Amino acid sequence: MRFEDELVGLLPRLRRFACGLARDAADADDLCQAAIERALKSRRQWSDGTRLDSWMYRITRNLWIDERRAAARRGFQQPVDEAVLQIAGDGAAQVEAGALRGDVDGAMARLPDEQREVVMLVLVEGRAYREAAEILEVPVGTVTSRLARGREALMHLLGEAA
Amino acid sequence: MTIDRATIAAYVDRELDDIAARRVERAAETDPEIASAIVRYRALTATLAAHYDPVAEEAVPERLLDLVEGAGHVDTSFAARREAKRTRFDIPQWGAIAAALVLGLTIGLRPWLPAGPVAVEGDALVAAGALSQALDTQLASNQPADAPVRIGLSFRDHAGRYCRSFESVAVDGIGCRTKGRWRLERMASGTTATAYRQAGSESLAAAAAKMMAGDALDANAERAARDGGWRR
Repeated sequence: MRFEDELVGLLPRLRRFACGLARDAADADDLCQAAIERALKSRRQWSDGTRLDSWMYRITRNLWIDERRAAARRGFQQPVDEAVLQIAGDGAAQVEAGALRGDVDGAMARLPDEQREVVMLVLVEGRAYREAAEILEVPVGTVTSRLARGREALMHLLGEAA
Repeated sequence: MTIDRATIAAYVDRELDDIAARRVERAAETDPEIASAIVRYRALTATLAAHYDPVAEEAVPERLLDLVEGAGHVDTSFAARREAKRTRFDIPQWGAIAAALVLGLTIGLRPWLPAGPVAVEGDALVAAGALSQALDTQLASNQPADAPVRIGLSFRDHAGRYCRSFESVAVDGIGCRTKGRWRLERMASGTTATAYRQAGSESLAAAAAKMMAGDALDANAERAARDGGWRR
């Protein structure tokens, strides 16, 4: 299959993944656009026969992390409640259980980036732990521990924890 | 609970082999705590799917499709190479840009400051400092997201030399391994100079396609070439 055809076939999933990372739909499509541009420019780095989807997830995720770091360097201040949400990350348990019932975006926003990206890859994109580890370039054990924390935090916030 | 949460999570995520999965199922039959954990984990996955899946079912915006479909211009096909031969950034222009750039990049150089990315050696421009180091060691297939120099393509040119395209804040270009140095064969203003950026990076890809003998190195070949010190 032509590289471009295969890439077009991935776009729906890539938009979904970007949407989970960036939260805002317009930001998500900007992120997708940047990922496509990067992929087209460096397509020779993609070795034929390896999975294009994994490669695209990695590019998208790395661009998102770049963007977050650049925003931090510019001294971009998140809105106050967002800042609190980020700090809440691992301390999500301190938020009242079920406080965000039905608000998946709000609950995801409370996760640190490193947990949110694992939740997206495994629970939404259906990647195996090993694939997620390869995409994120971390050990499988790191994927499972981040996933466990992210999953517990989400269940707590969405009111599905015991 | 006789089975830990990590195992239940792995079961729900279909990470267990048949025997281990069967063990969880049997335990769930007699342990309501396990059964309820499975239900809750599955419910979360379903909640997330219900929230995010509609995005994947929407029509992909035209601008993203156009971006991919309009991309046939920069590839390794013969058509693209023929196109590259007609590129307007031919040698004389590249020479002029390089000369202007090297003035900017080296004239301000003071001996007590760290070396800039470009040096003059004999009658040639060569990579220096961090740029030289990145070209020596950095693999395109495994470079940090925030690397100051980004390696693009690695390939052999028609003289059999290893060449690598790169982008950095100060300068973009193509370096070819010549007598133990990275001789800069193509240069364009770096990624901070937005006015040049589009033309620069596009023609860099075109220039690489033109210089290339065969295909670009894949990740394994790139690693092997680096480990061999980029010797022909």
